[in-house]
Amino acid sequence: MKNRSRLFGWKEPFDVARTEGLFLEAVKENCRFQYEHCEPYRKILEHFQFSPEDLKENKDIERLPFLPTWVFKNHTLFSMPERRMLIQATSSGTKGKFSRIGFEFSGLWSGLRMVWKIGRWRRLFSFCPAHYIVLGYKPHKGNQTAVTKTAYGATLFTPALSRTFALKIKNGSYEPDLDGVISAIEKHSKGRFPVRFMGFPSYLYFVLRKMEEQKIRVKLPKGSKILLGGGWKQFYTQQVDKQILYQLAEQVLGVKESEVIEFFGAVEHPILYCDCPKHHFHVPVYSRVVIRDVDTLKPVKMGEVGLVNLITPMTLATPILSIMTDDLGALHEGNECGCGIKSPYLEIIGRVGFQDIQTCAAGAAAYLNEK
Amino acid sequence: MILYRGKLYETSHQTKLLQKLEKDINDTRVNKRLDISKVIASVDVIGQKLENGVYRERIEALGMEGIEEQIRTISAMASRESLEYRMAVELGELKEPLLSGQPVNVRQESSLTELDTYVYPLGTLFHIGAGNREGLPVYSVLEGLLTGNVNILKLPQADQGLSIEILQTLLEIEPSLAEFLYVFDTPSTDLDAMCAMARMSDGVVVWGGDEAVAAVRRFAPPGIRLIEWGHKLSFAYLSGLEEMEEKALDQELQALAEHIISTRQILCSSCQVIYLDQQDMEEVHKFCRRFLPYLERAALGFPAKSIGMRAQLSMSRYCDTLQKVITKEKVSKRQVFHGRDCSLTACEDMELELSEMFGNCLVKRLPKEKMPEMLRRKKGYLQTAGLLCPEGKRQEFLKRLAVCGVTRITSVGKMSETFSGEAHDGDYPLRRYVRVADVTKR
Repeated sequence: MKNRSRLFGWKEPFDVARTEGLFLEAVKENCRFQYEHCEPYRKILEHFQFSPEDLKENKDIERLPFLPTWVFKNHTLFSMPERRMLIQATSSGTKGKFSRIGFEFSGLWSGLRMVWKIGRWRRLFSFCPAHYIVLGYKPHKGNQTAVTKTAYGATLFTPALSRTFALKIKNGSYEPDLDGVISAIEKHSKGRFPVRFMGFPSYLYFVLRKMEEQKIRVKLPKGSKILLGGGWKQFYTQQVDKQILYQLAEQVLGVKESEVIEFFGAVEHPILYCDCPKHHFHVPVYSRVVIRDVDTLKPVKMGEVGLVNLITPMTLATPILSIMTDDLGALHEGNECGCGIKSPYLEIIGRVGFQDIQTCAAGAAAYLNEK
Repeated sequence: MILYRGKLYETSHQTKLLQKLEKDINDTRVNKRLDISKVIASVDVIGQKLENGVYRERIEALGMEGIEEQIRTISAMASRESLEYRMAVELGELKEPLLSGQPVNVRQESSLTELDTYVYPLGTLFHIGAGNREGLPVYSVLEGLLTGNVNILKLPQADQGLSIEILQTLLEIEPSLAEFLYVFDTPSTDLDAMCAMARMSDGVVVWGGDEAVAAVRRFAPPGIRLIEWGHKLSFAYLSGLEEMEEKALDQELQALAEHIISTRQILCSSCQVIYLDQQDMEEVHKFCRRFLPYLERAALGFPAKSIGMRAQLSMSRYCDTLQKVITKEKVSKRQVFHGRDCSLTACEDMELELSEMFGNCLVKRLPKEKMPEMLRRKKGYLQTAGLLCPEGKRQEFLKRLAVCGVTRITSVGKMSETFSGEAHDGDYPLRRYVRVADVTKR
């Protein structure tokens, strides 16, 4: 997997234009591996009459059959024995089903190199210790979700003085403890060391609203940062304009907009999408995005809204080479952003789904809930 | 909220109330007989209130489509005339004895009979309401009251309070019904309470999908009458279109298209598959090309689907294919004819199955000789067949469809319409909610 190694070691994390050929080769190499080691994956390719050797130019990546996350939630697809996987992570499974994705050592190593590159670019690492407030789950042996692992992992970016969790296990299930978070914020605001938030934007919003209601305003020490990721999950209806969240963060916590950093990722596409100072998700060299028409699933033009198909040759253990998310989004030209990065940026606009449908047609309720 | 003998209680009182429920019900059964004429009179008043717009705001807030039409249908069904007609149709010779408490007359006239036959309510009915249609729980209870039963209703979780409100109004109009009506908002997961309610009942009436029905079969004690109103599948059957007059055919096809779009294919009676009495796949493709413009025209009159919903539909279709590939099931060839906000899928197989709904209909061949073999595979799910054929062939097809197990046969545009005196999924509910007691003459 020489090409993957070169790709994940590329010096400039957003130098997409100069890595096109390398990316294609890495995809081809990964595709061949999955084709040879994962029978269901081979069957899928054969069904669509596609062979790894059909990947001759970058345009061909669009024709590579993609696997919706639904597949991983309903089938365990592995391309190597489980003993060769260093870790397995799962999605959070809001509908009760979750994906199981395995990672082998070399895939994880590639991931670490990526995190190092992106983190350095966005100045996430520091030797200065910090207090962490995790707006997510407290790790627990029964919780294998990637979002828990990455949120915890992010508390290793600097030496951690303390960790406060917004979701704690109580009587066997997770319960939010916003008051605990608020008192930690108040305590740390009086200290010397910066505070770092990490986790779901919805919980940050709830915390900030609650502080505002209780008329609590603090000024967190210099160097404090807010790292957000994991999406809005079950709180989609309460999704607020990002700009309102940034304003609230500045008013209530005294953290400037430039210190709010958002991540986007999925266990099925473990690429660290990190927003630029203008809060756009530029495509890094490790990943490519194809936006597909919601009716025909054919690629659409730049700027048009469609289903978000993500491609990365990072992992061999599971065929997550080209996956289709449940997100709706659009891809924009990099230079429209103005931050200086030339690679296109991905905008997430919504999610696929039915509204609440009441039905008495046989099998319909199950059909609507499962997919 | 719990409604117990006309009084409202907080959910927290459930255990206490359940402990005395059986005794209270037994007292009522021994000491009272429900005056069904009063039930009819009060339901008639409710129907009028509905027509006069009393619940209008509440119903509108539920965001249902075609409210006008639905209110008209429901108030018509609640009228005294309609209720009495329904009782006459469903109970036949049992109607008068049920109302009067006298034995069945017919038997007395025959020299053979040694028995007096009395008609009684089944006793206590436990209704497990489904959340798939607002008002359904009330409807089920009214059927129980119309046959003189004591009714325990478990509200669906999705109920937004309208059911209790309507039932309270009913009790205001006719307070003597209070002892025959108990409403609980027990969650389905509270098995202890569900079992307790089932144990003290003579019949369990369950509305819902396979899962709900299977759950009741698991917890209901043997010996209790199970009355299952499960989810169903419906289809259209088209034959001999080339023999039909062009204008009439055009109207029928438009009516079918409007039925598909207006019901969004989410009802038991909604057309999921259009079957053609053909052998040749080319005819199926030809029909898709011909029918798609009708469907598009119908879709224009309804709000377009959201982009999220369209995406979900495409992904479901794609996932279905991958599922079959992964599980090595045979992937039948399907060709999708995309229209604006609707589609037709020409399928090589003949299976009756759920479509993708929301204006996305399946089109398949089904030569009439194959009808029994294919339709019988879905026995227990068959409901409406919309039939379109030349007049001369009608009788032949009616018979064949009925023999296969279809319980409603209508014209293609009227598959989801309600008709006075019609059965429910091949059965007369009122007949199932009563029992006869034979008494020897001496």
